[in-house]
Amino acid sequence: MAKETKGWNEFDAGAILFSFNKETTVSNLATTLPENRAYSQSNSYTASVADWRVEKPVFNRDFCIDCQFCWIYCPDMSIVSRNEKMVGVDYDHCKGCGICVDVCPTNPKSLLMFEEKKSENEALANWPKKESKKDKEAN
Amino acid sequence: MADKMELKEVEVWDGNLASAHSLRQAQVDVVAAYPITPSTPIVENYAGFLANGYVDGEYVMVESEHAAMSGCIGASAAGGRVATATSSQGYALMVETLYQASGMRLPIVLHVVNRALAAPLNVNGDHSDMYLGRDSGWIQLDSFRPQEAYDLGLMAFKIGEDHDIRLPVMVHQDGFLSSHTAQNIRPLQDDVAYNFVGEYKPYNAMLNFEKPATYGVQTEENWHFEHKARQHFDLMTKVMPKIKSVFAEFENLTGRKYKIVEDYYMEDADIAVIAMGTTVETAKLSARIARKSGLKIGVIGIRVLRPFPFDEVAEILKNVKAIGTLDRSSPNGTVGMLYNEIAGAMLGIGKAPIMRNYIYGLGGRDITVEMLKNIYNELNEDAIAGKRLGAVQKFINVRGPELTFLGK
Amino acid sequence: MAEEKKIKNLKSFSTSADRFEGANLLCPGCAHSIIVREVLNATNDDLVISASTGCLEVCTAVYPYTSWDASWIHIGFENSATAVTGAEAMYKALKRKGRLFQPERTPKFVAFGGDGASYDIGFQWISGAFERGHDFMYVTLDNEVYANTGGQSSGSTPIGASTTTAPAGRVSYGEKRHKKDMMAIMAAHGAPYVAQVAPNKWKDMVKKIQTGFNTKGPVYINAMSACTTEWKFPASDTIAVSDIAVDSLVFPLYEIINGTELNITYRPKNIIPVRDYLGVQGRFKHLFQPENAHLIDAWQKRVDAHWAYLQKREEARV
Repeated sequence: MAKETKGWNEFDAGAILFSFNKETTVSNLATTLPENRAYSQSNSYTASVADWRVEKPVFNRDFCIDCQFCWIYCPDMSIVSRNEKMVGVDYDHCKGCGICVDVCPTNPKSLLMFEEKKSENEALANWPKKESKKDKEAN
Repeated sequence: MADKMELKEVEVWDGNLASAHSLRQAQVDVVAAYPITPSTPIVENYAGFLANGYVDGEYVMVESEHAAMSGCIGASAAGGRVATATSSQGYALMVETLYQASGMRLPIVLHVVNRALAAPLNVNGDHSDMYLGRDSGWIQLDSFRPQEAYDLGLMAFKIGEDHDIRLPVMVHQDGFLSSHTAQNIRPLQDDVAYNFVGEYKPYNAMLNFEKPATYGVQTEENWHFEHKARQHFDLMTKVMPKIKSVFAEFENLTGRKYKIVEDYYMEDADIAVIAMGTTVETAKLSARIARKSGLKIGVIGIRVLRPFPFDEVAEILKNVKAIGTLDRSSPNGTVGMLYNEIAGAMLGIGKAPIMRNYIYGLGGRDITVEMLKNIYNELNEDAIAGKRLGAVQKFINVRGPELTFLGK
Repeated sequence: MAEEKKIKNLKSFSTSADRFEGANLLCPGCAHSIIVREVLNATNDDLVISASTGCLEVCTAVYPYTSWDASWIHIGFENSATAVTGAEAMYKALKRKGRLFQPERTPKFVAFGGDGASYDIGFQWISGAFERGHDFMYVTLDNEVYANTGGQSSGSTPIGASTTTAPAGRVSYGEKRHKKDMMAIMAAHGAPYVAQVAPNKWKDMVKKIQTGFNTKGPVYINAMSACTTEWKFPASDTIAVSDIAVDSLVFPLYEIINGTELNITYRPKNIIPVRDYLGVQGRFKHLFQPENAHLIDAWQKRVDAHWAYLQKREEARV
């Protein structure tokens, strides 16, 4: 990940980092979504922590009510929401903590943890059924 | 808009007032400061200018010297002209942030009114604080009298703020001997001074919201060395030429000539002493007197302590037979800093003159013309004998049995 | 001043464009990040941010990467308040002198520090900045421990917690000192706005952050940051543990206006026993040994007394 080939004469004095490409000027950053930003190579957005995960959250659109609990409580900006709708998980930045699954209020949950190597289709095929009140109490 | 001040062609200012005027005339945007003897009047005078409408920048009276430099760093990174002043214990408290300021390449100007370091506590001038900061990555300019504290105070902004340099600058003067000694000063008029310093040109400013910048990153073993190397490279190769060009510009404007290394009576000198601060003035006077009795003594004053002027010093000293380095700081277990640097400079050109190291003036103890004459005589005898006739290191004007070290 | 960002509900809030980026190095499940997002997303204004040395700082600006889409500075462990107020002073100076880059913008100045940086080593710098009355917000990410360096006690560590410098052992129940009441101390500075927040109560938190941004002068926010690593609970439980913390009243949510006017902003419907809060964290595990039972009782009494005190203060309006 780190570009460690640069010599002492090849970077900005003072170890200053710029969030966006130097040639661009940014305005209205707070309302500009990531897909419309000119991230610089120094922005950690361009990096990945996918290899931190042992398990990954898989999103199932069928049960989602777009409550956005997963969005607000995700520590890694990895719940992608657009126009008030949950779109999916950003697997470059998700560290696999599982908070999104924990806070998901639907029954069955719209996000569940699966082994990292399991495919999305496989995960969706193995999605649990709605839990009855009785099952819930038993759990 | 701040009011301008009408200044006479010759004003009677002490070094502190001279420094304060240089800050006022440079139209510093933020001064974050904390008072400490003997630099307190710089801050007080500046507060007085503010109270009377002569300053329109921000003046932030913080709760410690550490906070003073911290505030300066935040302000400088934000994108404007920044300065402060301190001494001694306050300087020591600042040390952590001195490294931060230079590492982030922030051109803050710091007036250091030199004073001893405790324990035991002492408010008088020696060079312990100046020496403490010599590895901190700042440019260090040394003035020998109040006029120079003012002149270098203006030049410091022009040197440090240059986009090729972007380094913080200390302007040193001796506590009390310069800071509290009123002398005739020839100031520039406000407009002339400001035009000389020039407008601050922002660089990677945090307040430029179109280019968000991250300051003060972490670099571990895979990056840290390269960043430190870059800073050292700039100090070693870019700073001296810049200082020289600013000195030349200043000379054109005022007729006052500054050199990286000031030398007096060196043209035909067989022996020389190296000094800093107000002692340079005393050494000059002593040399003038000693020369009347035939001693071929010259004096060198170190104007730029960091980066250290190895080439300039060696060039001036290349034909000298005996050298005395005068260090006003307790070396605590080795030779004085000037001895080390000068020895290194001479060795670098393959010369091995006779060298002595005099430790003097700690905690404001006087050094007199008579004491300096004795030193010159000692060096002269060495030169005639072609070898050092006594110990390398000697303490001057300390009570008790004679104190010498390293040989006899 | 720019218009306050309208945040009607969580759906509308979710349209925010984060200015804090992923692939930072914070632990999975770290509450710091959730707090930072709620603070930054509470405004659309430009931000000048400082951070003290600590988890947040060492994990978000490691060369050659930054995770900040805003102006950001770190100097040292103790001085984030001074760093950002220095920048705020420069903003005022350049505004007066007509030299601002984008004069129409209304930036917000925010300092982040951990509890070690705030309660301990940086306390003097915070106190000074508040006394001077800078227009800024200081946010303590309060996880009650020096987490960045591996779990040493801080002035915020509560009694009975096992830390690396006050470990529970055969003859010790861990930390012996009480947590410092930073809220009271900052209110005593006469700060116009002081509030305790918890990221799990996002609406309460975002409202307080917006109040803080709308307040002229220094604002202090004490943000509970449940630490999966040092409190010792699973990374997925950060919000669940945070819920227990506020519902047991160990972290009551309240604000103090102008140093005196205290408002409780969240009253749990069902108050959970403190025992349950202690029970979900490994750092308190030893308190459940029989010889330490009295400490759990003392915890409950202390929390009850503080809650009673807050209610009295709220009523008295003094």
